[in-house]
Amino acid sequence: MGIDRRSFISLVAGGVAGSLFTPVIWKSLDDVSIWTQNWPWIPRLQYGEEAKVPALCKLGADAYGMKVKTVAGRPVAAEGDADHPLSQGGICPLGAASVHMLYSPSRVKNPKLKDGSSFKDISWEEAEDLLAGKLKEAGAGVAMISGDETGSVTDVLAGLVGKAGSDKTFLMPGESAPAAAALAMIGGDGQVGYDIENASYVLLLGADALGSWGNVARNGKAFGASREKGVKFVYAGPAQNGTSAVCDSWVPCAPGTEAVLALGLAAVISAGGRDRASWPGYADFAKFVQSAYAPEKVSEITGVSVDVIKGLAQELVRTGRPLVLTAAGAGQGLGAFEMAAGMSLNLLLERVNTVGGVRILPWSPKVVESAPEKKALLAADLAGYLTSVADGATEAPALLMVHAANPAYAMPNLAKAQAAIDKAGFVVSFSSFMDETAAMADLIMPDCYAFERLDDAYSPYGSGQPNYTVAGSIIKPVYDTKPAGDVILSVAAKAGLELGFETFEDVVKAKAEALGADFDAMVEGTPWLGEEFPAQDLALWATPLKEIPVAAKDGKSLALAPASQLKVGSAKVAIPPFNTNAIRFDEMLGKDMYVLMNGATAKNLGVKKDDAVKLSAAAGECKARVRIFEGVMNDTVVAPLGFGHTAWDDFSRGKGDNVYKLLAAEAEGETGLSRFATARVTVSKA
Amino acid sequence: MAKCKSCVVLPFLIGLVASIVLGWWGFPKVLYSQKTQPIRFDHVVHVEDQAMACEDCHAFREDGSFTGLPTNANCVGCHEDVQGEDPDEARFVTEYVQQEKEVEWLAYQTQPDNVYFSHIAHKELECTSCHPDVAKMKTPPVYHENRLSGYSKDTMKMWQCEECHAKTGASNACFVCHK
Repeated sequence: MGIDRRSFISLVAGGVAGSLFTPVIWKSLDDVSIWTQNWPWIPRLQYGEEAKVPALCKLGADAYGMKVKTVAGRPVAAEGDADHPLSQGGICPLGAASVHMLYSPSRVKNPKLKDGSSFKDISWEEAEDLLAGKLKEAGAGVAMISGDETGSVTDVLAGLVGKAGSDKTFLMPGESAPAAAALAMIGGDGQVGYDIENASYVLLLGADALGSWGNVARNGKAFGASREKGVKFVYAGPAQNGTSAVCDSWVPCAPGTEAVLALGLAAVISAGGRDRASWPGYADFAKFVQSAYAPEKVSEITGVSVDVIKGLAQELVRTGRPLVLTAAGAGQGLGAFEMAAGMSLNLLLERVNTVGGVRILPWSPKVVESAPEKKALLAADLAGYLTSVADGATEAPALLMVHAANPAYAMPNLAKAQAAIDKAGFVVSFSSFMDETAAMADLIMPDCYAFERLDDAYSPYGSGQPNYTVAGSIIKPVYDTKPAGDVILSVAAKAGLELGFETFEDVVKAKAEALGADFDAMVEGTPWLGEEFPAQDLALWATPLKEIPVAAKDGKSLALAPASQLKVGSAKVAIPPFNTNAIRFDEMLGKDMYVLMNGATAKNLGVKKDDAVKLSAAAGECKARVRIFEGVMNDTVVAPLGFGHTAWDDFSRGKGDNVYKLLAAEAEGETGLSRFATARVTVSKA
Repeated sequence: MAKCKSCVVLPFLIGLVASIVLGWWGFPKVLYSQKTQPIRFDHVVHVEDQAMACEDCHAFREDGSFTGLPTNANCVGCHEDVQGEDPDEARFVTEYVQQEKEVEWLAYQTQPDNVYFSHIAHKELECTSCHPDVAKMKTPPVYHENRLSGYSKDTMKMWQCEECHAKTGASNACFVCHK
């Protein structure tokens, strides 16, 4: 029997019919449908034991304990730590995004050496040898900048610089320095904190306490508790914000003049009937404020009516435990004298170094012998130094080391700061991310990210009680990075500048021992809390009194109110990739950021909603769009900090403009600290 | 005419039978690749010789989740160093424990990520209702991987879940398994 056409068709037909009784078709269809769901770019869940591990968040200006949820040892989410005094279960927007940042496209994945206009990868051994060589060459021409004022890595880095014979050790601008200097002006010595939980009336003079200032998570918890306790929160500032929205009242006050309001309140209170003649320095102080800061004059400067000034003064006097928090709207830029104005108001109300008032905490113990005292570290003014270097008045450092800081982005006198960094002989960045400063550096020795290293924090600014937190690593380094503390110690040894410690863990253990804290307990999530507050001998004031300089109104320019929002980053970090979704339609238009002004101000300027404008100041210019918001004072423009990055990643780069460009710093006579909270800008159509 | 009938019927039957044979015998061989576990884990040695209980390695955590396959952390208590003469044990110690590398065990019943399966909700059932009875095996069974879907041949299909739920009166609502 041969195979003819008919037989062949029959064979095939039989085969097809038979296949219907097999799984071939049905199983294939099913599996193909599953196959279409298995694209390689679809992420897979990783299963394993779930745990909550103590960690530290230092992405904002604050440092606080939080819990990181891990699955099979891999961090997947962050949440507040109910047992940590600075979290109390709360978390800030950057803390919430902290796990995502572990895998940020901005991470520097290995040591890099500048090669022309780009970088080439080098090994850790090469990087350490190179830095050790530069240290030997530089001698005492070494300088350092740190953005971590609570951690011991700063002590180690400052110790290395000190060991090399240099005193060029600087912290990024913040409010710890002017607050400490302000405390010194009234005879105190220590770190300034605020016992916000136990106050019965809280006056926030410029402090965006519920949005970006101080211990944000803790402030929020204190505010929440205050609702049940009947504690009144009053916010004085130039524009409505998240803090003013929930406070019991908002007192519109021109930006940067909150300290003037404080002295005006002091004038009214001191003019009251109470006899304080026996108080050290009181007579001169009362005479000064009553003559220089009469309510009418204060009203003229601040925009706060005389009646409101007198009403606030009465509330402060009548309340049992009032607390005044003085701060710049952006959390930086006040001079010591301005801080002291707020401090003196607390002193006048007998609210310094007492429960529910301003608390004076002991300084962090010094464990690295060659490092400067914390007080000395805070007194060194970075903006002034960089400006001086840029102007040629101070010799540029032969070696500049930058840790946890981004001075090429977040400094007043920004152009001069960048010029100074550019003039430095050799710049080393320990940044975990490709920030603007790392992009300018000659060598990047990437620090492990927060969850990949041991880290510590002693009493962040604003803490109402001495505290010390230590967090261990949660995960092995995702990339080829090393903890900066260990790298610095290793390099120091190679350069013959031994600091007395072999590992960074030894440094932290020494600090824990100095405090009487249990290192192991802290690593497991129990922070150390101190109960001792050093006694103070305070007076009103120990420094000559003078009027606070305020930029004069000229009828053309507007008062600039820089505003910080943690969701778009901080001085340390750019917009976390996942937080881009949190930028609202009324905060950005395309890639332009909005600046806010009220309708009357816009009308005077001849601009309307969505107009492209240019903000000009002596220090620089910014581009933005106009948004009309009636929650802004007259002749005031609110500009957001956190935009305008030129490095980092696609999620943050090229969005908006950098408002730091508008901030011009001037040196304060007595302290030498830079003040830049009062700036005026002209706004014109772009 | 009779010749013509056989020319049609016989090839049809041959095609039918051949197709059925190939479909049931040949197709699975083509569809599934065969894999062996990275380490030949001998359950018998552990269960019978060492008198270990299943729960020593496959336990519920405090939060009710199931540990599933053990990690090196479970094993290093005994296997920090090589204990016996089994070459696979030696390989486990030198290539995984000492290198701090986890064994990529092949799971016979892993469900897709869009399926939420709770072991503790099924703890009344015998493990062997769904899993091979590996406790009696000196060598783990061969793992058959579906070349198209990528899943194990033994991965339970949705109809099997639904059938059991229906028979036992458990809910078959979507959200029971698809959160």
